[in-house]
Amino acid sequence: MTNETELIEQLKRGDETAFKAIVEQWKDMVHNTILGIVQNETEAEDLAQDVFIKVFEKINTFKGDSKFSTWLYRIATTTALDHLRSKKRKKRFGFLQSLGGGNDEKESIPDFHHPGVSLDNKERAAVLFKAIDSLPENQKTAYTLHKLEGLSYRDVSEVLNTTVSAVESLMSRANQNLRKELEEYYNKHYR
Amino acid sequence: MTSKEKIQQEIEQTLQCLDGVKRAESNPFLFTRIQARMAKKDGAWERTFSFISKPIIAMAILLLVMAVNGWALLGSGSNDNTNGDSANVSELANEYNVVASVDNYDYENLTNE
Repeated sequence: MTNETELIEQLKRGDETAFKAIVEQWKDMVHNTILGIVQNETEAEDLAQDVFIKVFEKINTFKGDSKFSTWLYRIATTTALDHLRSKKRKKRFGFLQSLGGGNDEKESIPDFHHPGVSLDNKERAAVLFKAIDSLPENQKTAYTLHKLEGLSYRDVSEVLNTTVSAVESLMSRANQNLRKELEEYYNKHYR
Repeated sequence: MTSKEKIQQEIEQTLQCLDGVKRAESNPFLFTRIQARMAKKDGAWERTFSFISKPIIAMAILLLVMAVNGWALLGSGSNDNTNGDSANVSELANEYNVVASVDNYDYENLTNE
């Protein structure tokens, strides 16, 4: 029995030490994935907590048909996307409320800085993250898992429960959309 | 180099800027925070509130309260009248020392009582 399988079995029995070991082993992976999707440090931290609480509560539903990390990536991406959806709903409601009092929507500037990006790429990466934020959910997830987590297309396909060719197509469309967004941005801001 | 070419170059560089990006590190006290959240979640009040705040439960409680109120209003309205009437009658009777239903034959026995 591998260490990972052993930890999972212990966690199924409610062992807190095993839970701590699992959190310590996978916390950066979960945090980085969520951060790439929600693009906000504080929200990513709260959501990472949610993910591990879900792991603790739902570990008995993990049958071992996929890798534990794949299962964990699925929970992390679903949690992050659910959060974005609820945020969008609230924004829409806020927009409707603001219609009465006049709408002064301003163009948002790229303001998310991923802590793993080198200093000389900081501004450029912020522009790219803003473009990533405009991608449809499945493209955003595939792009984040591949680019930020360094997963292969096969691994991404397992997380998204789809085929490798579907992931290739998602990545190709994501790149096209990003090019479009970036072109628009640089046409406006390039001097 | 034309500005269009420059923009294309910028785009390429931007798309490549995440190559070799490092993994963002999470809070070192994440486990402690998770433990605190779980302890809070396990609290009796927390469980009660989360149960009550479920929309279906909240709606059911609201309907129940409204039904009890309605029943109390309608039911007690008719009972109150009869209770009130009999209470008033006995109050009056006590106040004026009226002995209930005395008929002609009983006059002879009044002294015996």
